[in-house]
Amino acid sequence: MSLAWFARRLMLMVYTVIVVSMLVFAITQILPADAAQSLLGENATPEVLAALRTRLGLGDPAWLQYGRWARHVFTGDFGISMRTSLPVGPEMLAALSRSLLLAVSAILVTLAIAVPLGVVAALRQGRLTDTGVSLIAYLGVSLPEFVTATLLALLLADTWHWLPATGYVSPLEDFGDGIRHLALPVLTVSLILVAHVMRMMRSETLDVLKSDYIRAARLKGLPERTVVFRHALRNALLPVVTIIALDVGYLLGGIIVIEEIFAIPGIGRALMVAITTRDLPSIQAGALIMAATYAVTNTLADMAYAFLDPRIRYD
Amino acid sequence: MTELFIRLMRKPQGFVGIVLLALIAAACLFGPALAPYAPEKIDFLGRFRAPGWQNWLGADQFGRDILSRLMVGARSTVPLAFIATFVGSAAGATIGVGSAYLGGRTDEAIMRTIDAVMAIPGLLMALLLVSTLGNGAGNAVIAIAVAFAPGMARVTRSAALNVRNQDYVKAAIARGEGAPWIIFREMLPNVMAPIVIESTIRVSFAVMLFATLSFLGVGAQPPASEWGLMVADARQYMHQAPWGLIAPSAAIALTAIAFNLVGDGLRDALNPKDER
Amino acid sequence: MTPVLSIQNYTLDYISSVGPVRVLHDISLEIGPGEVLGLVGESGSGKSSLAWALMRHLPENAREVAGSLRLGDIDLQRLSPGELTRIRGRRLGMVFQDPSTSLNPTLTIGRQITEALIQHRGLKQRDASSLAINLLGHVDLNNPAAIMRRYPHEISGGEKQRVIIATAFGCRPDVILFDEPTTALDVITGARILALFARLRRETGVAALYISHDLALVTRVADRVAVLERGRLVEQAPAADIFRAPRHANTRALVDAVPRPERRLVHDKPGDQVVLAASDIEVQYGSGGLFRDATPPATKKIGLEVRGGEILGLVGESGSGKSSMARALTGLARFSGKITFDAHEIHRMRDMNAAYRRDVQIIFQHPDASLNPRHRIDEILSRPLKLYGGHLADIPRLLEQVRLPASYANRWPHQLSGGEKQRIAIARAFAARPKLVICDEITAPLDVSVQAQIIELLLALREETGTAFLFITHDLNLIRQIAHRIAVMRRGEMVDLLPVEDFDADHVHPYTRELMAASPVPVG
Repeated sequence: MSLAWFARRLMLMVYTVIVVSMLVFAITQILPADAAQSLLGENATPEVLAALRTRLGLGDPAWLQYGRWARHVFTGDFGISMRTSLPVGPEMLAALSRSLLLAVSAILVTLAIAVPLGVVAALRQGRLTDTGVSLIAYLGVSLPEFVTATLLALLLADTWHWLPATGYVSPLEDFGDGIRHLALPVLTVSLILVAHVMRMMRSETLDVLKSDYIRAARLKGLPERTVVFRHALRNALLPVVTIIALDVGYLLGGIIVIEEIFAIPGIGRALMVAITTRDLPSIQAGALIMAATYAVTNTLADMAYAFLDPRIRYD
Repeated sequence: MTELFIRLMRKPQGFVGIVLLALIAAACLFGPALAPYAPEKIDFLGRFRAPGWQNWLGADQFGRDILSRLMVGARSTVPLAFIATFVGSAAGATIGVGSAYLGGRTDEAIMRTIDAVMAIPGLLMALLLVSTLGNGAGNAVIAIAVAFAPGMARVTRSAALNVRNQDYVKAAIARGEGAPWIIFREMLPNVMAPIVIESTIRVSFAVMLFATLSFLGVGAQPPASEWGLMVADARQYMHQAPWGLIAPSAAIALTAIAFNLVGDGLRDALNPKDER
Repeated sequence: MTPVLSIQNYTLDYISSVGPVRVLHDISLEIGPGEVLGLVGESGSGKSSLAWALMRHLPENAREVAGSLRLGDIDLQRLSPGELTRIRGRRLGMVFQDPSTSLNPTLTIGRQITEALIQHRGLKQRDASSLAINLLGHVDLNNPAAIMRRYPHEISGGEKQRVIIATAFGCRPDVILFDEPTTALDVITGARILALFARLRRETGVAALYISHDLALVTRVADRVAVLERGRLVEQAPAADIFRAPRHANTRALVDAVPRPERRLVHDKPGDQVVLAASDIEVQYGSGGLFRDATPPATKKIGLEVRGGEILGLVGESGSGKSSMARALTGLARFSGKITFDAHEIHRMRDMNAAYRRDVQIIFQHPDASLNPRHRIDEILSRPLKLYGGHLADIPRLLEQVRLPASYANRWPHQLSGGEKQRIAIARAFAARPKLVICDEITAPLDVSVQAQIIELLLALREETGTAFLFITHDLNLIRQIAHRIAVMRRGEMVDLLPVEDFDADHVHPYTRELMAASPVPVG
């Protein structure tokens, strides 16, 4: 594996994070005609507005504002929350850790269910299992997260009372209760992800099964079991790493809604609160952290994939 | 055009999709006229009435007929999603084809930047924009269009690159055809198919995204009977009146499925090699 | 003596959307022990279907209507899946057309050979490995132990095919099916594979069914040859006889269509005036991306001249740079150097004016890709007329010129066959009466009989218009029939530029000699 390739990939990640930071800053601080006004609302007095403008440095040219902000942010200083007057950074990162717990659990559950199901559906293409899997996948992809979440809450919490509808308890404090509270959100996220991943695995596996080298392996007289396990799966499972990265993408989009519905104090919820209370530094921090997480995950996934696929050894 | 339609209807997905779309279009066009009750009509006596002959899909917490609200709400949900997709696709397609035509380092730079922009998840992008522009359906449309543009740019660019490398484009260059002819008459007709297919499927995402924004309170505002808003409202009362939740959810799902099916059907129907 | 492979009255249909299509009619063939039977047919003849039928790998919509397929005593059609697995590889082997796609990209070469040996010869891993190394050495692969550890993408196409052949022979089957094993390879590499096949066959006495579209090639490797035409067996004869004395009309047509250097089709001499002169042409692809270095140039300062009415052949294998030359001359690739046309000097693409573009035309290799699938034929033909001053009313005449009916003007490209599409491309090129037409491997994807027709058409057009040709091909025999002079390219350099008469002389470049040896003239 060439070092140059690694270096290039890392540089790309850095470029991505920088572009994202510029975009987030531009949208939240540069774009509004008067950021101070939109932050404080209509009832703010001119003095308060002026004070905020000075404090945020809104009079300066855009690139200067960005530079100032970027310098702080990339050294870890995300500013002070306009809502709580506490430093934004630590709070956001704590929220991120809770979201990551949710995300990782969901991804693990998804992989455990969706990968085997997708592969089996492909192996039994056209038969009942396949039709069933495809239908469920289709449905899952056509439901917005909030619908799935609400319907599941209706069923499992409201009707059957198996799980609590909302709330969060840290598993570090009380493992059992923590799991109970996480179960519904994890289940919801998993269901959504399962639909996507099943579809992808199915189509990947189908492509592999139709390939010339699988045909050659069969006609070489290898038993079907060997053809499937040694030849087909090896190639079909390769993209799982990429799929995980894509999952994180879907997840980050949905997590805002999920945390809102189930009242999980993760980064999605923090962002929503920041948006509704117009807490500018928190909005900027939350958005940047989310996007940076995606960029880092993608980079790691690319590297893992390159490590696993012998064709990409020399780039 | 008609033969395209026929081929679309021949496959089961295309058929079901078109039928569903027709229903939705009817709701959008004739909803208010056909609805049994006025959507804002409050009837305190009929609060939380279960589905029955009076209210086919039941009534909500104000006694408003859910079916009527759904039919009228189609207008608030679907056409706006359509417009957002159209604008986003047009913008994205322009960037994509342009990038492919320019080629070389410019193309690579543009695409790397697009990839970076896509590190911001669609919903987040839309939320950021709406928080800046202000709440409301119109701004939500703009936000969704901007959120979709990068994804469409990528799809368009890869389709356009594929086309640009074909021998018939090279033949046109070798003949000395001008750039406008090559882009519009040689490349575009062959790029349109993937663009149309992708856009159609994206309308379903737009519908879901729009409903999500409304659900979160930043899209359509009450008393509009937008479907996402209806779900948000019904959540508090899901214990007493679950139908208030299920009906709009089903409507959103069916709309998304309809566009997905039509998009998939188009994928098969638009393949010229299938004509025999 | 029981034949190793016996096909009796075999009839096969494919069910399509318009009903059953008969692919094989009442085929009866036998292969004796140690015998090689060549099966020749053009596209659509059903030859590949027969191979899939024998391997029991027919598609879902196949229906075996009648007949039997026997491997020795075994009725292949009555085998259970388990029995079939035991037959495949061990008694009935197969070598496929494209070695690049027949090997699993994520498994080492060694793994892919040893698994077959373990399965069919009951060896343990260690013994299988040493046998595998032995076999690889036996098929003339250098450093077999190293190759065992490599992945398919790390070795060349020819090496991959050797690996596959080694695996097939290593399992010691009764008979091996070869499905066009050299079609995807270069001429010289292909010739070496054929020599390998001949040697292994002599050594092991394995019977073989050798399928190909190339009659000339098959007569070199087979004992007997069977000719398939649209699913029917039209002739069967010893290989030596089939060229010398073909009996059936179809076979005769096939034999006639095979290019033979001594059969000159062009008898005149070119004019003296130089139409196009190119010097120091260096073609550069890709300026490199943001992070990558540029690729090395595809041609290294090549020069050539084409005279009025001349046919200049440009021959080489893939990667020789011959197509790059074509692209440079038509402004499709960046180049440095000088082109002189009609007293006009050209140093860059931008210098190519409308007159140049009209007088220098190009026809591409793949007819499917060179006609815009969303344009009708009349629109395709109207472009050169509109660009270079012509009348749309000329379109029927253009179609007639390439021997197609005028009604084709309303059709879409996908409604035409490969040969017909290529004719449209030719009509398009000749619409403005160009001075030079560059043909970039235009007959390579076509059947030999269609190729002969296209060549005949081109020569007739040349008679009418006096156009010069730069004819690019990898088929040396073909070009020797029609060219006045031939240039041979190898890895971006021109190693020879000779009048066609001098090709047998002593002073040709060793590479040219190798190329000639790899494309021998068929007997008869």
